Amino acid sequence: MVRARLYAALLIAVPAWALLPLQHQIESERRQLQYGGSPVTREIRDQIGQGLAIALLAGFRGVAADFIWIRGHDFWEKRQWFKQAECIENTAKLQPRSTFFWDSGAWHMAWNIAYAERIGTNDSTVAQALTRERYWHQRGRAFLERGVQNIPNRFDLYFKLGWLHEQKLRRDCGGYPACEKAEYAKAAELFDKASEYPNAPVYIARDVARCLEKSGDLRAAYDYWCNKIWRADRRIRNNLDRAIVEREIRRLEDRLDIPTSSRLFPKVTAK
Amino acid sequence: MTERVGFSLARVWTIAGNTFTESVRQKVFNILLIFALVIIASASFFAEFSLGEDVAAVASYELKSIKDTCFGALSVIGMLIAIVGTAMLLPNELENRTIYTILSKPVRRFEFLLGKYFGTVLLTFVSVLLMSLMFLAVLAFKEVRLSKSAKAEVTAAGSDTEKQKAQELVVKIHDEAYDPDIVKGILLIFVKLCLLAAITLFVSTFSTSMVFNVAVALLVFFAGHLVGIAKEAWQAHTIVTYLLGVIPDLGMFNVADDIILGNVIPWPHVGKVAAYGVVYLSCVVGAAHLIFASREI
Amino acid sequence: MDAIRTEGLTKKYNLGWRKGRFLALERLNLHVREGEVYGLLGPNGSGKSTTLKCILDLVSPTDGAAWIFDVPSTKVESRLHVGFLPENPYFYKYLTGAETLEFYGQLCGIRGAALKKRIDELIDLVGLTTARDRRLSGYSKGMLQRIGLAQALIHDPQLLMLDEPTAGVDPIGSRDIRDLILRLKKMGKTVLLSSHLLAQVQDVCDRIGVLNLGQLILEGDVNQLISDQRRLSFTLEGLPAVARGQIEDAARAAGATVVNVEHPQTTLETLFLDAVRKDERGAGHHD
Repeated sequence: MVRARLYAALLIAVPAWALLPLQHQIESERRQLQYGGSPVTREIRDQIGQGLAIALLAGFRGVAADFIWIRGHDFWEKRQWFKQAECIENTAKLQPRSTFFWDSGAWHMAWNIAYAERIGTNDSTVAQALTRERYWHQRGRAFLERGVQNIPNRFDLYFKLGWLHEQKLRRDCGGYPACEKAEYAKAAELFDKASEYPNAPVYIARDVARCLEKSGDLRAAYDYWCNKIWRADRRIRNNLDRAIVEREIRRLEDRLDIPTSSRLFPKVTAK
Repeated sequence: MTERVGFSLARVWTIAGNTFTESVRQKVFNILLIFALVIIASASFFAEFSLGEDVAAVASYELKSIKDTCFGALSVIGMLIAIVGTAMLLPNELENRTIYTILSKPVRRFEFLLGKYFGTVLLTFVSVLLMSLMFLAVLAFKEVRLSKSAKAEVTAAGSDTEKQKAQELVVKIHDEAYDPDIVKGILLIFVKLCLLAAITLFVSTFSTSMVFNVAVALLVFFAGHLVGIAKEAWQAHTIVTYLLGVIPDLGMFNVADDIILGNVIPWPHVGKVAAYGVVYLSCVVGAAHLIFASREI
Repeated sequence: MDAIRTEGLTKKYNLGWRKGRFLALERLNLHVREGEVYGLLGPNGSGKSTTLKCILDLVSPTDGAAWIFDVPSTKVESRLHVGFLPENPYFYKYLTGAETLEFYGQLCGIRGAALKKRIDELIDLVGLTTARDRRLSGYSKGMLQRIGLAQALIHDPQLLMLDEPTAGVDPIGSRDIRDLILRLKKMGKTVLLSSHLLAQVQDVCDRIGVLNLGQLILEGDVNQLISDQRRLSFTLEGLPAVARGQIEDAARAAGATVVNVEHPQTTLETLFLDAVRKDERGAGHHD
């Protein structure tokens, strides 16, 4: 019996040791593919509470993160913005490879919370409300920028960050043209990055051209329409795409007054 | 009277089938399974709380939440079924003395043990299959509802680009709901459950109490998830690496989270993890046999 | 060839850390001949079950060895021609009687129509026809014992080993089991049974062995062992009262001592069996 137990122990231990190289290989593949997310630090454990920490250690990271997200939503309903933001931060810490948490988290900060702070009927002045709104815009931007660093292999967050620059940060310029143009240029740059990913939707490239135009560089916008969109096959998939692009190029050709000979779409003259 | 009795797979299947029937007719498993199916079915309602009217955000949250809950239920209930189902096998056989009637027939002890193991593997497989079907049904149900609102956006779209965005969303919802990688996640969960069943079987070859078997198996379950973290912390120490190396790293089997997040899980990686699990569990079953073969009954 | 043979069979159980060992069986040499019914008797804890378990390789002997039809117990082949009924068997309670027999039949490699036929035969033989499709969780003790006998017989073995076959069974059931054992004997089967109910053993066994504290202290032919050659008893009917004195006198005159003169009593068992059988309401209401 003693001998049987010894052999049994060896039969488990020796192959387990023999499997160590395979295990290392699997682990390095996981690291390479960035599975599993960040390690569970003591700080996170303290923040999310013991129950969720156990769920986390048992491999239910996703469920734990969803639960924290819902908790954040409760804080939103109670108008406790900073607590909600902390929950959002924790979800992203638990699942840094989740585009959803970065995207929707930034959206909560820069759209929902910021708007609620602006129209909030507190005893604050308009200036104070605007300052708080800007704070949340900036916080959303900083959050999304961290998201981009964590998920550089997807177009999603570049696109969202561009969108944030165009929609929110541009408005914080208070109508100052140079500032607004700079934000449009930044948005164009980010949309361009997003549009380079093979699975990015075609309309993102059109957003690049649109923002370039709004940043004041009509020529660059026109070149983008012609070279990066019209001549790149993958960006014209159907008749709707073709119609939109043709319409935009014709419009710019008119605005830039490009000579007929060098136009992509010569003017249709009445016969 | 001197005919040879060789190892017989037919006998293994007879015992496996009997073990399966016995388990299925016990209420415990039906209740566990019904519980799991209820959780999975309600995952779709659990996910429904408003995030505003942004269909894209609602869709990605709801699909993520459903998948998280369903994979979680599969993993936890599957674990309970695999561990409890295996833990009671040998103690019940010994207590009811049915083992005497079987081993006094021309049946090898290895055939008996393997039959018992395959019986719970079959039970686990059927449970995982039923839960997976429910999982897919919930996803399909959700897909129909989400794409309905996405399609409504297509018709309501003001500009051409908005229309395209809505169309893209319809496609995205479909792709996320019917992600073929979900199969990889379920497969690895199943291999993990088989491994846990093997460990429980091994423990029960030298114990007589079902409670002890369950407790040790649960301990291994948690240790198996912590071992990855422990290894990172103690990387430099060779001895510690070897000591921890004996504990199966169950964290490796958890690719469900990544599948849900849309990360690419290549088949070769899945194959390696599955191979690790199968080799490890084969050794554990072998070790269980070594102890069981010399056990006094 | 003996159906069962053991040589120097010894079994010591470890009692645990520093508690020493318990000697359950000491140098047992047992020979069960083909075709006989052998009764292994002894008080509780005398080693009867251990002997059976050693013969079936359920526990491995500390010393010595056992053979079934000359095949060593340690080989699976030794169990090809033996059927075993453990003490107080339970079986799988979620299976029906027929399913139970199907399972054991398949274990013995019987399949298809042959198995079906065999199950019908056995269900009929042990009298469980009305209960064949009921789950064993609803069986009484006597019914369990009978389904146990049926499973032991499923592969038509040459040798049957029964551990306390009548323990906890009512007198009718126990009589049925005894009748069954006698029928099996007529069919040429060898039976080894263990019991501490001596009266019943006396009825069916050809030979007995008595185990005490792990040793075989008595063995032999039942009739020879229990018949008292020095004494003789008559049982007479219709004897007039006066004739009794004459007979006693004649006996004394011949030099014999009259030890006991009494009215013979029926056994309580016979009384019970007769009473129950006469009760018409009980017909077809076994167990």
